[in-house]
Amino acid sequence: MKKMPFEPGRRAFLGGAAGVATTLGIAGMPSRALARIDAPHAAEKLKPTTEVFGFCDMCYWRCGVKVRVRDGRAVKIDGNPEHPNNYGVVCAKGNAGLMAAYDPDRLKFPMLRVGARGEGKWARITWDEALDRIADGLNKIKKKYGPEGLAMIGHGTWEKPYHRLAHAFGTPNTTSPVFGLCCGPRGVGNMLVVGRNLTGNETVDLENTRYLLMLGRNIVESLHNGEAKAWVEGVSRGAKVVYADPRFTITASKSHEWLPIRPLTDHAFLLALIHVVIEEELYDKTFIAEYATGLAELRRQVARYTPEWAEEETEIPADTVRRIAREMAAQAPAVLVYSPRRLTRSTNDLGTATAISILNSLFGVWDRTGGVFTPQGFAVPEPDLPAYPHAHVERADGAGVAGRWPLANAAYGLTNEMWKAIAAQTPYPIKGLITAGGNGFANSTDYETVRRALETLDFYVAADITPNEMNAYADILLPEASYLERYDDLQTGGAREGYVAIRMPAMAPLHDTRDAWSICKGIAERIGLGAYFPHDSVADLIDERLKKVGLSRAELEEKGVVKIPADPAKNFPREHGGRSVFPTPSGKVELMPSMLGDLGQLDALDYEPQLRPEEGEFHFTFGRIGFHTHARTQNNPWLADLMAENVLWIHPDAAAERGIANGDRVRVTDRKGRTGELAAKVTQRIRHDTVFMVHGFGHFDPRMTTAYGRGAADSNLASADTDRRLGTISMGRGLVRVEKV
Amino acid sequence: MTKRYVMLADITRCINCKACVVACRAEWETPLGHSRDWVKEVELSTTDGFPIVQLFPGRCQHCDDAPCVEACPSGAAWKREDGIVLVDDALCSGCELCVPACPYEARWLNPETNTISKCTFCQPRVDEGLQPACVQTCVGGALKFGDANDPDSEVSRLLREKEWVQLTTAEVPGGTSHYYHTGGAPLPNEVLPRPVGEHIQAALLGNVVNPVASVGIGGMVAAFLGAGVKKIIDRRNALAGEKENKHE
Repeated sequence: MKKMPFEPGRRAFLGGAAGVATTLGIAGMPSRALARIDAPHAAEKLKPTTEVFGFCDMCYWRCGVKVRVRDGRAVKIDGNPEHPNNYGVVCAKGNAGLMAAYDPDRLKFPMLRVGARGEGKWARITWDEALDRIADGLNKIKKKYGPEGLAMIGHGTWEKPYHRLAHAFGTPNTTSPVFGLCCGPRGVGNMLVVGRNLTGNETVDLENTRYLLMLGRNIVESLHNGEAKAWVEGVSRGAKVVYADPRFTITASKSHEWLPIRPLTDHAFLLALIHVVIEEELYDKTFIAEYATGLAELRRQVARYTPEWAEEETEIPADTVRRIAREMAAQAPAVLVYSPRRLTRSTNDLGTATAISILNSLFGVWDRTGGVFTPQGFAVPEPDLPAYPHAHVERADGAGVAGRWPLANAAYGLTNEMWKAIAAQTPYPIKGLITAGGNGFANSTDYETVRRALETLDFYVAADITPNEMNAYADILLPEASYLERYDDLQTGGAREGYVAIRMPAMAPLHDTRDAWSICKGIAERIGLGAYFPHDSVADLIDERLKKVGLSRAELEEKGVVKIPADPAKNFPREHGGRSVFPTPSGKVELMPSMLGDLGQLDALDYEPQLRPEEGEFHFTFGRIGFHTHARTQNNPWLADLMAENVLWIHPDAAAERGIANGDRVRVTDRKGRTGELAAKVTQRIRHDTVFMVHGFGHFDPRMTTAYGRGAADSNLASADTDRRLGTISMGRGLVRVEKV
Repeated sequence: MTKRYVMLADITRCINCKACVVACRAEWETPLGHSRDWVKEVELSTTDGFPIVQLFPGRCQHCDDAPCVEACPSGAAWKREDGIVLVDDALCSGCELCVPACPYEARWLNPETNTISKCTFCQPRVDEGLQPACVQTCVGGALKFGDANDPDSEVSRLLREKEWVQLTTAEVPGGTSHYYHTGGAPLPNEVLPRPVGEHIQAALLGNVVNPVASVGIGGMVAAFLGAGVKKIIDRRNALAGEKENKHE
């Protein structure tokens, strides 16, 4: 810190200045300003704008937005007050969406690779040349390897036409990270037990809940507006929150109780809770008698999982487990055991997810006030298209395939397994790849496999808004219009209200970019698949869809959204004399899921001991902060201004043992020898055996001029193990050492 | 009746998502590296090491007796009848005397306009009947803005229902237009105003930096004070260099 020679400190100096003034005052000068200009002040006026509606593309919650436009440019993004996902607010990311469009690093025109793959040498080409070359490349793939020789990996609201293109091409190999790398296990757990998919935009009656047990669900930092807003409201109305996480997050700071649980042991905690709820008969007896099967078997199943047993695993005292079970039962059904958003941590996330659903069912939360509500959809039929050709082979990633990962959702696939399949060229050759957004390096926690996969391809087309490490490998790089510069397909969703929302262009494209629909149509027409893209534009597509439900684009463009009003009798049928519906094989809540029994996988309900660090090692964890998301906001100048790089959270005792002070540079090394370097944040807000960093930093593509070289990449330190029944990734099994640089 | 605009920040509802900060940047096109508002994340712990985190959204507190207005030699800093403290860009010379006068470090020189920038409670929006940008986008509903002279307004109701404190101390005792609800927790030092003692003698300094005004001060005095002004500005610039991201 630079010291000025003439003063001991700012306060003293200013005191001195005041002293001078006082002296002069005594000498007869007035003590108040004399030099005022008495002319009336002109108050600043708000500059006029017009408004168009859309929905956000910064994360996957997809809030409704209202974009203010002045002189043909988008100048401010507000929340759409009518939209059920956010009711008028937008977070920092949503507000910074302008800079997704105005980012100087954007991909501005189609490019052809002219250097070695991944070398970063490009030549600008015309759209016609780009589309012609893509048609040629895809035809060659199909001729040589069959249609299944093409894979498509998408990550963005505009990935949809690329899925359509790939299916029309005839490949089964399309995937999105949402299942294998993120929410998959939670969805499966709920499907097995109650036949419902409580993922995506969760339908929790947060405003009226009385008690929440949050398992690493950092709800106000892994931030979705509607959900966070409702959670804060529920807490302010007096709901009790118990928060279990190795780290004291902002959510922990808003909770009544923080349980610094040992990493990877949530399943043990849950099993002990189920044990207590059953043994002490704390469950909802009426609900279980009427709706559930398998209680007696479940009781036997969890008999050995006593709170004392769990204490050794989790470090949560047995008495605390008992107390929480009783407290929740006293408030049931206005309670919820809240799953982590991303539940891809251990080798038995399926067990954890199933246990969460079982426990919620024991408390009878379904379709009850303060529990989980049944959403209303807004069905808007898809346009009439020719049937897709039948794929003659199974998916290469094994999702939904008997004998491989039968429980994995084939609609999204297992992105982690798809990278492996391409890298190893098994079970059959995949030599063509289309990516629509996304970044395999930042999300798949296995650089080597992703790099090998990209290098083995004959032909790779990437479409995106901005450059990143993955699309650096493309042969043809297509610039997408940002979500402020295009129409897109309709957003339909279900909350208490059902809704359909529109995305309108707020401005003309700033660069020589196109929207995904035009791009895919251009490719399809060149390879004889034009019949799958019959609309002249995406606006025509949504016109046709809206017509089928008696709506028009003009109606949607008035408020951005058209809604079916909330209906308590539909949202909470059991509060209104109705019945709950559980579309499981038996039509009942299956406390011992029959689908697991059929697959011989009921052992997923058993606890599997998880990795523990050896002397000198830490559990490696990562997560979100409220103003960055995925690996695609770090280059956004407005968000980088809030946080330009991540830091390593480490407990003061662990730091002291290594001579690490707050702010010191440290090197993190995992068991494979992978490393990252970043500054240390020494804090009591984390367990002594765990370190943490915010996800998405450590970019190494120099085209990302804001994010390049800033912070460390969690994706190069987290584990890439696999849940052995689901095929989803197990990112929580990383063990690292930390040293001062 | 005259309006009395106030901002309420319920820190129990703030989640440090910084939506307010980015909304403000977008609304007023503030240059990177500067912001009219901020959220301070204060990390404390109990004596046995249990962590506590407090989140304080902050901005100009729109003081009742605003020291910046007194310090401003050109008359650019002014306070409206409704309580909003503003900068009249046409009059602001960018002399920065108001910067050290502010106990909340809420004023800064905009390098693009060479005038002082600060939170205006979004006066141009408020004059159109809109909410300030930060309030409109606040995810946790922590920020509320309105007319405290209207007994039926939401802010009046909240002021009656909850316990509110202001960021004042014995050394900086003035009232402000900004209230905080902490759920009973004491205010941490990190958010308390810095004592600036008496404010800089605006009249005399004004004569130096603003040749329009003339109060006939002797040349020696003017020269002496001119040197003082330079020192203050140098000092401020040095501090600004040291304390980048001071609100983090």
